[in-house]
Amino acid sequence: MFKDLDPILHSQLRLATMSLLISVKQAEFTFIKEKTNSTAGNLSVQVQKLKEAGYIEVIKEFKDNYPNTTCKITQKGIKAFEEYVKVLQQYLQVKK
Amino acid sequence: MEEKNLSGEESLKLIHRMIYEAKGYFYETGLSAIIYGFSILVCTVLAWFFEKKLISFPFHPFLLMTPVFFIQGWVQYKEEKKKKVKTFTDEAIDYVWTGFFLSTFAALCGNFVNAGYIIVTIILFLTGFAVFITGLISKFRYNIFCGIICLLIAIISFFIQNVNIYLLLATDAVLVWLIPGFILRAHFKKQKHGRSELLL
Repeated sequence: MFKDLDPILHSQLRLATMSLLISVKQAEFTFIKEKTNSTAGNLSVQVQKLKEAGYIEVIKEFKDNYPNTTCKITQKGIKAFEEYVKVLQQYLQVKK
Repeated sequence: MEEKNLSGEESLKLIHRMIYEAKGYFYETGLSAIIYGFSILVCTVLAWFFEKKLISFPFHPFLLMTPVFFIQGWVQYKEEKKKKVKTFTDEAIDYVWTGFFLSTFAALCGNFVNAGYIIVTIILFLTGFAVFITGLISKFRYNIFCGIICLLIAIISFFIQNVNIYLLLATDAVLVWLIPGFILRAHFKKQKHGRSELLL
């Protein structure tokens, strides 16, 4: 019996965000926005959902007197992402 | 990016694309390396003239590195703040160079027992090791090649335990910091110029 894909991760922008964060220690909101080609509003909503799920940590601070948001994946997020990729690969193997 | 239903294959493709994008991020102005490289070069050349008694100095020229450490540390701190992404590679490289500077400081304590020019040999070995490991981590071939050259220079230094050892240290300064510093600076300016052209 196949496990269901994690609905938190099975969303284009949230998956893109998690994929960026899995490769780096931390990334600024503006970097994620640039690479995912999303709007600030939409990305903000998805980042909040990931934060509520405990998959990422959001650090808000000031940089040169401007507010700056940095995102970092959590251990829970890493496990969820790995599980997601594993289930995805199982689905794709069956399809073949 | 629109919110649409992804198929399994599309999900995997998206994951690969984003990982590639993240790994492609590179922000290095080369300024820190240029400052440090020039300082070491100037200090070693002055030290050579000083110990050959060709110039007089109120103190040993290497003491000029004390304010340079603070200036370079401040520049490095400012540069780190500008980075939008911190990668695990950056972190590993930071650890290598932190280890290098702590070990160099420990080696310099040999001056308290008049250890002599062997301290410079130790520093040459530490430099070669640090730049070689940095090259392996960052997959920057110049650093790997440079690391090997610096280790050979360190071996040669065993046979030059006199004032001329400073010239070997000056060579290291050029190879390890100045040349890569200018390469990084040129690359950074090119990237910046490319971005401003996109904005126009």
